[in-house]
Amino acid sequence: MTTSEISPFVLEVIKDSLMSIGEEMFHALARTSMSPMFYEVLDYACGLTDKHGNLISQGNGVTSFIGMLSPMVQRVLEKYEGGAGLSEGDVILINDPYVGGGSHLSDVGLVMPIYHGGELVAFSANKGHWTELGGKDPGSFTNDSTEIYQEGLQFPGIKLYDRGELNEAIVEMIGVNVRLPDMSLGDMWAQVAALKTGEKRVRELCRKYGRPVVTGAMEKLIRQAEQYSLGELSKLPKGTYEAEDFIEGDPEKGGPYPIRLKVTITDTEFICDFRGSHPQVMNPVNCSFYGLMASVRVMFLAILRPQFNVNEGLFKPLKIMTDPGSIVSAERPSPVSMNFEARMGGAELIWKALAPVLPDRLTAGHLLSVCSFLLSGKHPDTGERFLIVEPTLGGWGAGEGMDGQRGQFCMGNGETYNMPIEIAESRYGVRVTDYRLRCDGAGAGTFTGGSGVVREYEVLTDGQEMTASFGRHRFKPWGMKGGHDGSSSYLRVIRKNGETEGPFGVATRLRLNRSDKVQLVTATGGGYGPPEERDPEQVRADLKNGYITAGQAEAVYRLAENGADS
Amino acid sequence: MRVATDIGGTFTDLVYVDDEGSVGYAKSNTTPSHFESGVIDVVQKSGLSPEEIEMFIHGSTVVINTLTEKKGVKVGLLTTAGTRDVLEIGRGNRPDLYNFRFQKPEPFVERHLRKEVRERLDGKGNVISELSTDDILQALEYFRKEKVEAIAVCYLHAYINPGHELETKRVIQEEWPEVSVTVSSEIIKEWREYERTNTTVLNAYVKPIAEAYIDRLSGRLDELGMTENRYIMQSNGGVTTFENAKNVPIHMVESGPVAGIFGAAMLGELIGEQNMIAFDIGGTTAKCSLITNGEVRVTTNYYIEKTEKTAGYPVKVPVVDIVEIGNGGGSVAWIDELGSLKVGPQSAGAMPGPVAYGNGGVQPTTTDANLFVGRLSKKNFENPVDMDEVKRAIDRHVADPFRTSTEDGAMGIIDIANSNMLNALKLVSVRKGYDPQDFTLVAFGGGGPMHAAELAEELGVKKIVVPNASSVFSAWGMLMTDLRHDDIRTYNRKLQGIDLHDLNETLKEMESESTRQFIGEGIDPSRVLFMRNVDFRYVGQEHTVKLPIPAGILDGPQMEELKARFHEAHEKAYSFHLKENEMEMVNLHLVGLGKVKKPRLSRIEAHREAGSGPKEVRSVYFRNGGWTDVPVYDRETLGAGFEMEGPAIVEEPNTSTLMVKGQRLQVDSYGNLIIETGVKE
Repeated sequence: MTTSEISPFVLEVIKDSLMSIGEEMFHALARTSMSPMFYEVLDYACGLTDKHGNLISQGNGVTSFIGMLSPMVQRVLEKYEGGAGLSEGDVILINDPYVGGGSHLSDVGLVMPIYHGGELVAFSANKGHWTELGGKDPGSFTNDSTEIYQEGLQFPGIKLYDRGELNEAIVEMIGVNVRLPDMSLGDMWAQVAALKTGEKRVRELCRKYGRPVVTGAMEKLIRQAEQYSLGELSKLPKGTYEAEDFIEGDPEKGGPYPIRLKVTITDTEFICDFRGSHPQVMNPVNCSFYGLMASVRVMFLAILRPQFNVNEGLFKPLKIMTDPGSIVSAERPSPVSMNFEARMGGAELIWKALAPVLPDRLTAGHLLSVCSFLLSGKHPDTGERFLIVEPTLGGWGAGEGMDGQRGQFCMGNGETYNMPIEIAESRYGVRVTDYRLRCDGAGAGTFTGGSGVVREYEVLTDGQEMTASFGRHRFKPWGMKGGHDGSSSYLRVIRKNGETEGPFGVATRLRLNRSDKVQLVTATGGGYGPPEERDPEQVRADLKNGYITAGQAEAVYRLAENGADS
Repeated sequence: MRVATDIGGTFTDLVYVDDEGSVGYAKSNTTPSHFESGVIDVVQKSGLSPEEIEMFIHGSTVVINTLTEKKGVKVGLLTTAGTRDVLEIGRGNRPDLYNFRFQKPEPFVERHLRKEVRERLDGKGNVISELSTDDILQALEYFRKEKVEAIAVCYLHAYINPGHELETKRVIQEEWPEVSVTVSSEIIKEWREYERTNTTVLNAYVKPIAEAYIDRLSGRLDELGMTENRYIMQSNGGVTTFENAKNVPIHMVESGPVAGIFGAAMLGELIGEQNMIAFDIGGTTAKCSLITNGEVRVTTNYYIEKTEKTAGYPVKVPVVDIVEIGNGGGSVAWIDELGSLKVGPQSAGAMPGPVAYGNGGVQPTTTDANLFVGRLSKKNFENPVDMDEVKRAIDRHVADPFRTSTEDGAMGIIDIANSNMLNALKLVSVRKGYDPQDFTLVAFGGGGPMHAAELAEELGVKKIVVPNASSVFSAWGMLMTDLRHDDIRTYNRKLQGIDLHDLNETLKEMESESTRQFIGEGIDPSRVLFMRNVDFRYVGQEHTVKLPIPAGILDGPQMEELKARFHEAHEKAYSFHLKENEMEMVNLHLVGLGKVKKPRLSRIEAHREAGSGPKEVRSVYFRNGGWTDVPVYDRETLGAGFEMEGPAIVEEPNTSTLMVKGQRLQVDSYGNLIIETGVKE
């Protein structure tokens, strides 16, 4: 049977099944994972590609990985002679940041070729953030690496399984090179199990409908998505739009580093030209071309807003140009541990350039940075080592007809959940002494920017270490159409004796002792439209709810009478 | 006689079963401004005299309606100092990943009505800051001024030590006796402050409304002389007293839908089936749930208004674990932006309904497709059906765009609907590590029996049961329930070196508390039955596996046996186990059942031949066989022991059962249709 002979609806059913495979693998992995980075933060993705490495379906917890799986598979194909060097039962382990699908070492990918009747039909693949991967700093998160060699173990696309045979040597090597081997290896086994779920489902489909029908359905899916993409592109305003911004790093090591972009929208192409951005730096805020590509794809999706499961066809009109060796296209051995700073920063230029012409899809600037926070130390009750690695919530920008959202993770996250205070206190023996909205009245506008968040930890044992990277520290989230800018993100330490340190945007292995507190304060998003045009009823409600002060109501919003009630 | 009344969107249903097991039902219009009037109407319409009614069970949508229509009361919230905004911050997730104009759910309490109270416990429940009564009094003053009608209290770690919350409640009741109060520790004893706060707030939000409703209903029942044994259906599949329901109305949030799932478990007990997939297709949704070893799965992972695109509101109370998808008889077929055929989740609803209803519906639905291919007949509809309209709708929206015949277009709609439902069925079975071959599919609701035959084959299920009176099966389930309380407590301990004495004491205390509650509800302790469960996991994991644990005092050898059983269960659910890893308990889950006397179910007469043979032979279209003559039977004429082979259709009021070629049917002595699918091992 070929695709032309079967009912179009059977093809629909197969497409439907293919699209659900990525989701099924995703849930399988969440259920089996050992580490909070996977099961709480859902910092991973699972998917299926065709035999050429074109994305067919993907299950995501965060947006960042959406553009990574297919280039990763394509890289594996390239390395193994277009597939000739691969066999049934192989599983490839890869985290090289500078090749297809790369971001930073912590994101570890696994790829499995799927065969039916001896023929390669597809790949199942996944990639997730391992909590520990060795390197010089706990959590393999580092703010002051100068070369990749300091950042952890590198897997250049090697066979963890060769024809179904486990390479024990690799497992042993990982076991001794990482600080939390149970967790890292536990995640690896969970990833392998999820790959096998994908393999099983594809083979079931092939058995039921025949291989050519299944591959035909894959081709059709991609073709239809490409047509959709071109159709949507034709509705966008044609022209060239520009934006500039900065990537912040540790001010002691340099920066800020300027980046720039020219977006050109034509009838058939969406071209993002990042040439002219700062050269790569010896500071781990660089991203590789592939890291940038992943986040540019996210922006492209935010603009197209497809309601169906994403596949490769959607990205066909997208072109990216960079200067090799630049901060958004770094090359080996540049450090990339905090690569999301350049990755998001680069992608957000598209947001900034197009927000004025696409107000129905894009808002004013948001917290932008993952605001990653890492704390390691000993549990006060058990003396066991713990490690907190978490993103921090912040404010989003206001848009046409809507206030910005208060307390949300940045664009790179997604179905990401914050750590409940009650779990953090039981599991890590820290104390969360404050967790509230940062009602600073920044981001004023006809529609107001969403509040950032204040989260304060008190540490309960001596000798803890904190590492953090909060972007948008020097440069605030931008307001638009007359709306004010938001406020900046920062960290502050309050020592036991009351002395304070900070505010700063970056901290590297900062030592904390019993009863010291660290305050994480994130940005309030940018406002939209002039504040004096905000509905006075709304201003009164904001005042009553304590989102703004009486002074702000009067001075910024020109509210005449005092609507305060409490 | 037991009577169940269930308030639906259009009708208020009454189902009764007498001591001989005969089932009967009545319907009257739902009366939205005063729902209790509809209940009284339907009781009167049924012709039952109040003296005959020994037990009255009521299912109501009053709670879920109040929540989704945002018609509850003004709530003030008291929280631990530093956590006032937890309710608004929520979990920060954005399920609609690429929507950069995403909006999170609005909190049910505005910021100015969220007040902080100085007090603090640590993660083990020790007091590290004393409760400040001054803060409470100040907040109460503000709440009075703001005309707050209900107060919710949720403090950090109150799930371990409720002391400060209970003291707060005492202070409130002393200062302001009229105000309604809900404290978190009286509803939930699990960790996660946002989920607990939200659940507490929602209970406070609906409590005065639910109280008033139950009081009005109670008054009307008193007038009829029905003063005894009155119960409310809860989301955990059991019933509770009016008094208890008034106190914790949030337990009624899903009271209707769970009854059918519970009914399937009861039916299984009767006919000797332990492992079942309950499958219910209504007008707008399909629901399914897994029953293992005769037990319905009850969890606290429930949300309202959560979809693939919205974060929703968590409600951490015990709710029967149901997967529900927007696919029912009225689901509309359409073509998406990618050119793919989709069915649902949009539904034509009751108005205009499917094209076949003749009420102006123009988009084809699953029901229209079933009608066009002959699975349903024009005679199944109350109105005269215009087949040309049905054909036109299928052609215009499906067959023409895909360049196929109308028949194939209609089959396409059925295929896609089945594909959606198959995904839901897989979600509760295969994806949880269960092999559908080991399960019997119990199909009910208006559409379940129509789709079960094909779905069972796809899924690999060997046997289908279509219960008697399958379209009112949910209400029947309500009649068969016991009183039930679920007590779920976070009890996070590593098994290595666990303090067994403390564990045994805790379990004993939970059982005493439950017994006290049953006594308060007039249940004799001799009729109380306990089932103990524990959620276990490997240290470091998030997801747990629930295992039953034995009654009585737990000792070392029993703990060792539990460990072995956990490894096995983990292997089943997640395809691997970690023999070397340390294990921990997360939650204790005590199920208390207050057993009530159940009616027997009556048997039907045996006659092996159908009374009058098929009532007609109808042409039905099949994908691989084209138009085929199929005999159509009237279910009422089929006696116990009757057997036949598919393809065939069995009709009854409000639903039809389809059998495909190769399937065998037998009618059992209770009148259930038992279909062997012929699926091989």
